[in-house]
Amino acid sequence: MTAALIPRNSLAWLLTAQVVVLLPHLPRLPFWVAVLWMACALWRVQIQRMRWRYPGSVVKVLALGLIALGVFTTQGSLLGLDAAVMLLLLLFMLKLLEMRNPRDALVVIYLGFFIIATAFLFDQGILLTLYQCLSLLVLVAALVGLQQTPGRNDPIRALRSSGLLLLQALPLMLVLFVLFPRLGPLWAVNTPGKSATIGLAESMAPADIANLARSPELAFRASFEADIPAHSELYWRALTLSHFDGRRWSHSSFASIGMPRPWEPRGEAVRYQVVTRASQQPWVFSLRGASSDDDSLVLTRDFMLQAKRPITQTLAYQATSWPESRLDPHDLDPLQQRIYTALPEQGDPRSRAWAEELRTRYPRDAELVQALLQHFNREPFHYTLRPPTLGRHSNDEFLFDSRRGFCAHYAGAMTFVLRAAGIPARVVAGYQGGEINPRGNYVLVHQFDAHAWVEVWLDGEGWVSVDPTFQVAPERIERGLQDALQGEGSFLEGSLMAPARYRNIGWINNLRLAWDDLNYQWQLRVLGYQAERQLEFLQRWLGTTDWQRVGLVLLIAAALVMLPLVVWSLRPRRRHPDPRRQAWEQLDRKLRRLGLQAVRGEGPRAWQQRLELHLPAQREPLAAFFDEYVRLTYAEDGIPDRDTCAGLRRHLAVLTRALPLRAGKISRPAQHLPGQSTHL
Amino acid sequence: MVAERGQRGVIARLSGQTSRLFQRWIGKRIPAAREIRLNHRRIFIVPTRAGLALLVLLVIMLLGAINYQNSLVYALTFLLVSLFWVGLHHTYRNLAGLELRATGSRPVFVGESAPLSLTLAAVQHEHQALALYWPRTQPQRLDVEAGQETTVTLYHPVHQRGWFRPGRLRVETRYPLGWFVAWSLVDLNWQVLVYPKPLVAALPRQGAGGDGDGALLNAEGVDDFQGLRAYQPGDSRRRLDWRAWSRGQGLHSKVFAEPSQNSLWLVLDSAPGQDLEQRLGYLTGWVLELERRGQPYGLQLGSQRLGPALGEAHRDACLKTLALYGVAA
Repeated sequence: MTAALIPRNSLAWLLTAQVVVLLPHLPRLPFWVAVLWMACALWRVQIQRMRWRYPGSVVKVLALGLIALGVFTTQGSLLGLDAAVMLLLLLFMLKLLEMRNPRDALVVIYLGFFIIATAFLFDQGILLTLYQCLSLLVLVAALVGLQQTPGRNDPIRALRSSGLLLLQALPLMLVLFVLFPRLGPLWAVNTPGKSATIGLAESMAPADIANLARSPELAFRASFEADIPAHSELYWRALTLSHFDGRRWSHSSFASIGMPRPWEPRGEAVRYQVVTRASQQPWVFSLRGASSDDDSLVLTRDFMLQAKRPITQTLAYQATSWPESRLDPHDLDPLQQRIYTALPEQGDPRSRAWAEELRTRYPRDAELVQALLQHFNREPFHYTLRPPTLGRHSNDEFLFDSRRGFCAHYAGAMTFVLRAAGIPARVVAGYQGGEINPRGNYVLVHQFDAHAWVEVWLDGEGWVSVDPTFQVAPERIERGLQDALQGEGSFLEGSLMAPARYRNIGWINNLRLAWDDLNYQWQLRVLGYQAERQLEFLQRWLGTTDWQRVGLVLLIAAALVMLPLVVWSLRPRRRHPDPRRQAWEQLDRKLRRLGLQAVRGEGPRAWQQRLELHLPAQREPLAAFFDEYVRLTYAEDGIPDRDTCAGLRRHLAVLTRALPLRAGKISRPAQHLPGQSTHL
Repeated sequence: MVAERGQRGVIARLSGQTSRLFQRWIGKRIPAAREIRLNHRRIFIVPTRAGLALLVLLVIMLLGAINYQNSLVYALTFLLVSLFWVGLHHTYRNLAGLELRATGSRPVFVGESAPLSLTLAAVQHEHQALALYWPRTQPQRLDVEAGQETTVTLYHPVHQRGWFRPGRLRVETRYPLGWFVAWSLVDLNWQVLVYPKPLVAALPRQGAGGDGDGALLNAEGVDDFQGLRAYQPGDSRRRLDWRAWSRGQGLHSKVFAEPSQNSLWLVLDSAPGQDLEQRLGYLTGWVLELERRGQPYGLQLGSQRLGPALGEAHRDACLKTLALYGVAA
């Protein structure tokens, strides 16, 4: 590399590329980063206009110190992924100021590639992916611009070449994407982004689920192998809440840890596939009586599927459920018995008293549960997203005073009463129902489908699910939250812009469902294409998962998709054929039929003279053709185009018409010409 | 010290040997010709440092993709891998099919740069961002549009009189991505005649072997005009009858009687200077000077005698004789 300057147009592309590459990151970063970038860009433009000079080494060192300080104050450390990415972005900006020669430009472009990759760690949406295709196009254009002949720069041409190159790179990329073995992580990495947990939390005060119910965000999607079960059967279990502290129900890992007790799958099996988002939590969603072959999931003591690690990115898994199974039907062990009947020492005296009363009235557990449910059904309980604020004895106030509440109130209060009556019970948090997307034929579960219900242990039956909310608002279970809140108008009242709010407007709803289906396919087929799915795919299409054979297929497929390119580069198509040569060859073919062939190295004039001896009758058209040929060859600059050679073609047409049809018609001159070779 | 020198000697010898071997091999592979079309036998291609750096970057990105189980980082990595591969073909194709034709040169004096012209024809498709250079010369960069021909003149410094044959010209390109460099080393059979470097000295009083007294003519020396004859290439430009030409009567040269008593003989021994090269230099200077003044001159060099005469043809013949004096043909 000579110490040349960066070509102007490459610089233009570089600046463009930088803006394009940085944009997706800016919203995640503090405001001063954008300001700093503007300053750098302004400085660079001024350098280009010869107004300002390059920064000196003092300025550079200061700038480095400042950005290190900035990253430290923003991220709290200089290590870790977020800090590293931020540092990378800032260096990428500063590099703008010390870009002098093509090598610096190359560093900027490579950093750009890297920054595109880091953006994918934070967001993997379709829109961002499309956007990054544009970034890549611009970066490659800058790369091409860097190679163009200085002074003959053509930015549009650079962009065209860039597009062409990327398009030609697509087939091989797809082959590699599908067939390159997906390994597990080589070492543990921390996840990017502020770990904002999404969805259900480990503990639930009655109002928490109500807050969740105001969110139009997507929780997960599920597709079924057979028909989608009825809305009222879709109880997606996520976690059990078995510990009550007088105010909140929370998850107790102590209760759920360990292997599940033996259970009996019964009834019909439901096979389904769930794709969840990164929730930073280990909960995954399954119907009752689930099991899965996925080795990133485990079945816990409380019959929940759970991920081994918090879910930090899209996760797709297959599961099978037997919703009618009997779970742990025979004698609960004493420890479990204690856990699931534990209550705080104090609080909610009225509820406890009522539980005693029920206990004496209904000695059998099942009857007591039934009575409780009927109580909710008969008494004037009201299902609402706007419950009144409750005081210290929340269960008492809810059960006997306000009687207005959301599912969490009902489930919490019922579990409390059951435990007070000595019956093992727990709250189950999860989602209920979901929206069927007819386009992709899958269920779409939003955060507002969050639900809490009760599981109670009955001797001989095992853990049985009961839902007090169903007694109060059956439409919630049968049709979903929006119908249940129809009178109240509180459905998604805080999210005016949420498309889910406008389900009743046909075209908006269609658009929303189509877009969601696209996202689902994207998550399933692209983002979820990891080791498991790959093995499935290979088994289905290649009938083998043996890596040696897959490697062979990979090589063959790669060779096949590259073949057109190889052929194209080794045997370049004559895009600009030489019309003179074409005419010459045409005549050559005609003459060869008559047994006349030019000798190697014979010039047009010598050949013409020789032909005139053979074809004295065609002397004139021969002369016309050869005169034109010679004129074009020796009087024109470069290779003439087709229009210039129109005359030649005309003469050729006249000549071919004049030629005899059979070889017998040509005269054999007596004298033997040197080098003559007439093959007959 | 001694050992070091010995070592250096060995290295020099070895490198000399390898370069000789290489020259032999490349001479067989890409024979010298006035006209060469670049094809797969004549084009070499390897990744550049930038290309290797990209591969390192891709390995890092692949590790990231594996560790974060991120499909899109995988996709980006694979796209760049295939782009690398596609770039190889594009870079190769950017040279393939290019036709180079030597279009001549002109004689130069030692110390000047020999202009070497060649025509590049893009018969099949365009060729972008080509660089043409010899080791230690500035690369000439150009594009050749599809179906067009471009003629460029390259300059190569010369340091020795005689026939100058430049080494193999390197035609290279890194277009479009700079990740590969494709090049060819072509020998277009250029031959440039290099005249000795002209040195300035007072003209000799009289040429030995001349029959005149060597007295200088006045600058015009055109006293015995004899008539006109049709112009022949090589006639001195100052003797053309421009007036007749401007009247549309064709190009004629004025013919003068050879003032033989005024012609000057230039002889090697009469030239000052330490060695042969310097003397040849002075002789060259004199030839140019006398031609400028329009004074006929003759050159006697060893067994060769030229002249006495005047005119560009004569001057060039003298210069050629001077250039090739004692040079193995």
